[in-house]
Amino acid sequence: MTDLSNEPDEEQVNYTMMDKKRKYALLIEAHSKDLYKYALWLCKDKHMAEDVMQEAFLRAWKSLDSLREAKAAKGWLFTIFRREHARQFERKQFQYKDVESMDTIEDSHHMGYDDRPEAFALRNALKRLPQDYREPLEMQVLGGFSCDEIANILDISSSAVMTRLFRARKKMRQILGHESAPQLGVVGE
Amino acid sequence: MNCLDFKRLALSDPNSREHSFVEHSGSCPDCLKYVGGVRQMDADLSNSVEVEMPSDLMARLQLNQELTEEAETLAMTVANPMKRYAMAASLALALFVAGFMASNQFGAANSIGEDYEALLSGVVEHMNEQPITPVWSAQKANSNANTLLASYDPDMKLKFLSNLQFSRVCPMGQYKGLHASLETADGQVTFAYIKGESVGELLDAGYEGYVSRVKPVRGGNLIIMSRTNKSLEEADSQLEKAMYWDI
Ligand SMILES: [Zn+2]
Ligand SMILES: [Zn+2]
Repeated sequence: MTDLSNEPDEEQVNYTMMDKKRKYALLIEAHSKDLYKYALWLCKDKHMAEDVMQEAFLRAWKSLDSLREAKAAKGWLFTIFRREHARQFERKQFQYKDVESMDTIEDSHHMGYDDRPEAFALRNALKRLPQDYREPLEMQVLGGFSCDEIANILDISSSAVMTRLFRARKKMRQILGHESAPQLGVVGE
Repeated sequence: MNCLDFKRLALSDPNSREHSFVEHSGSCPDCLKYVGGVRQMDADLSNSVEVEMPSDLMARLQLNQELTEEAETLAMTVANPMKRYAMAASLALALFVAGFMASNQFGAANSIGEDYEALLSGVVEHMNEQPITPVWSAQKANSNANTLLASYDPDMKLKFLSNLQFSRVCPMGQYKGLHASLETADGQVTFAYIKGESVGELLDAGYEGYVSRVKPVRGGNLIIMSRTNKSLEEADSQLEKAMYWDI
């Protein structure tokens, strides 16, 4: 026990006051599943996804004191992950260079993905998007980030994020042969 | 908000809680249907990359943290950390043992086949990246090794090794494997068990300052990095008795 005179109620324990280990355990509990899904999609390799994730969590542990609010935890963790992914991917690019060409049914199966043709078509459509469009869409749909969070992480304006997301979905729909997107003037292609 | 603006926002942020957006979808069946389609595509896309997380990954994330914390604590409290930590980096300075000169990387680089070279360089790369490995109690190192093996290779088992100091599943160059260390009279011996195609036969070689052995074992290879011939033999004969396959 500490000698704090006004200890907060259990319900309102300040995140900054929380035991570091407890914070870390919560981080794993709340976000590791989503992060793994995102990690595997970005890495296209189970081992690498696990490695990068383990490294990201270690980095998160080391700088956990800088995380002040529970609601910021996910964005904070995913940002660390993205940075670690960029770092490791660059280093291992040579070994993983054939990653981009991995889109056979067999690979999907190996990764544990749904191998029905519809699912396959969706993943391929996403892969075919230009990176500038794909990245924010992955963050929004797979990472669950808000537009503002994406803007922060990618260091671009919110309106730029909105434009990219718009184009990403429009392109997805075209690739998938859904009803052609409505003509919306200048923002189109 | 008109239908055009609505559809535009629907494609950027289909779950927007903007008042005019919500309001429009309540009053325009056509747009409601449109945004429903967009949300469905998002859901399908998300489902298409749904995977099950490896069952032990959460445990490993937790374990990694505990190990780090332990290493940090040790580093702070032990007066002479050099004694508590095996510095693999210093091994790199160790002299080659004469007996291995014949096959070292200067004398006969071509004699080390590509597959051996890849395994050795992978392990050395990792040892150089993480020059300090913590020293745990045998109890902890053994139980950790068994937990890790359960996920890495459920068929491979390791009997209790009283001088096991450390174990972790690590990336090693282009591979990933069980990375562990044994304490011997001549210092720490690092070994790695890497699943995959086995090399044809056992190879002893001086490699990057280590006395090394690459040995085909069931389902993969065992790589042992030591500082002396004697400790290499000692570690190998120990592992020979301790490793077994439960198939
Ligand atoms: Zn409308
Ligand atoms: Zn290691």
